[in-house]
Amino acid sequence: MAIVKSLSKVAAVIGIGESDYVGDHARVRAGERPHDSYGYAAIAFNKALKDAGIERDDIDGLIVGPTIAYERMGELLGINPTWGSQADAMLSVIEACMAIQTGMAEVVALVYGNDQRSAAIQYGGPEAMGGNMFLSYIYHAPWGFTSQGALYAMMFQRFMALTGCTEAQLGEVAVAQRLHASLNPHALMKKLITIEDYMASRYICEPLHLFDYCLINDGGVALIITSADYAKRNAKKKPVLIHGVGRYDANKGATSLEPRLLDFYRPAQERCAEQMFNMAGLGPKDIDAVQIYDSFSCHVPLALEGYGYCATGDVGRFMAEEGISLKGKLPVNTGGGHLSETYMQGWNHQVEAVRQVRGEGLGRQVENCRFVHYNSDVAGKAVSIIYGS
Amino acid sequence: MANSQAVISLYDEPMWESIRAHDWQLQQCDDCSEFRYPPAANCPHCLSMDYHWKPLKGRGTILSWVIYHRQYFDNFPPPYNVVAVQLDEGPIVMSNLVGPEPEGNWVGHKVEICYGEDVAIGTVPKMRLIPQSS
Repeated sequence: MAIVKSLSKVAAVIGIGESDYVGDHARVRAGERPHDSYGYAAIAFNKALKDAGIERDDIDGLIVGPTIAYERMGELLGINPTWGSQADAMLSVIEACMAIQTGMAEVVALVYGNDQRSAAIQYGGPEAMGGNMFLSYIYHAPWGFTSQGALYAMMFQRFMALTGCTEAQLGEVAVAQRLHASLNPHALMKKLITIEDYMASRYICEPLHLFDYCLINDGGVALIITSADYAKRNAKKKPVLIHGVGRYDANKGATSLEPRLLDFYRPAQERCAEQMFNMAGLGPKDIDAVQIYDSFSCHVPLALEGYGYCATGDVGRFMAEEGISLKGKLPVNTGGGHLSETYMQGWNHQVEAVRQVRGEGLGRQVENCRFVHYNSDVAGKAVSIIYGS
Repeated sequence: MANSQAVISLYDEPMWESIRAHDWQLQQCDDCSEFRYPPAANCPHCLSMDYHWKPLKGRGTILSWVIYHRQYFDNFPPPYNVVAVQLDEGPIVMSNLVGPEPEGNWVGHKVEICYGEDVAIGTVPKMRLIPQSS
């Protein structure tokens, strides 16, 4: 724990960049292919450099997010770093902190691009993406059990049966995030919806409705993370410090869905929360907004209980009565998340967290926003980060 | 679209042979007696490499269920259900509930293994409700 503690406030985000989700989505829907994954990543990288106020040659660390290849991305960006890696959104932030703490790098670029919509990537069925990484995505196909949404539908059905949480209460997630998206110029889905609209929407894999599923769209995201000292000396804008990180992976029994169905990933989230909050010297009450990886809406209630924002078994009431929108007690996914902003596989949540701490949230800005908590539970890999001023 | 396919590793093949014989077997560890699923070289519980194939008693309990309304495979036109069942031996398996379905909540209902034929895969183990009185 001592080593982990030393990662607090070691590093800061000084630059963020995103491709034009709205414009590119319109072009893709019209049948065009504006860019490939590398192109989207390059657009985001250029914007992040500008946002940070540094030059490409200042960068000495590079992390490339799947699905794009590390070497080719480094080649295209013209970066020969002293340290590099390939990692998803959440782990790349933690790895950047570790590289900076150990002195392997001081100015790390994190880049991601995905042309999943224009390339017609499938997340279920005979060509389901991800089966090479997660056996549970493909192993149960002989029974027609496919798509990551179905795995979460199976999990949340049991959660509802055991706790009394209802579909209408789950609908609070889609409704709140759509409200946030309506206030976010980068969001794809801006038309407000109600609980009635949610309940009337068709099931995809019951109990999950259409509005419980994330978007599929093209785009790219980049972050520039540097040592806190470098950030103080060089950043154009207020640096956003990483106050705490946590990770705990529930691998045991993963393919037969044991940690999902028997535990709802709760032990992983609790361990992750303990590590992160201890490192940051903070608790759930100190957090002003939460960003939750939401490939499906039900990540949100499970995380709210798992990270201690409400009592066990009480999340349905918490979401409906206390509220998870900007108007409620605890704003969640303030940019609209994967459901309504853009599906950048956790990368857009990091950008939104930074914007909120900077005070760049425009019409969706959380008042006096000091600390933003990001967490994800993709296939039982609980990862958590606290951003703050 | 296309039909669904089974994932057949080195260790899955004997299991599917037993399914085709209507006698579903899983590996039981020689050292710690744990059953494992999916089939694998080693016991995830105690890491032993020694095991034998053992027929399942054929009973379990529904942990959860879903109903598909969207089609992903040619051989699975919606609507159809998938149930997660914890076998009496311990492992959790996915399957389809055939025959009568429970009213309302399916969680906790007892089921037994039966066998169905799939156009693409051949014999596949399914589940059916055990009447409450038995």
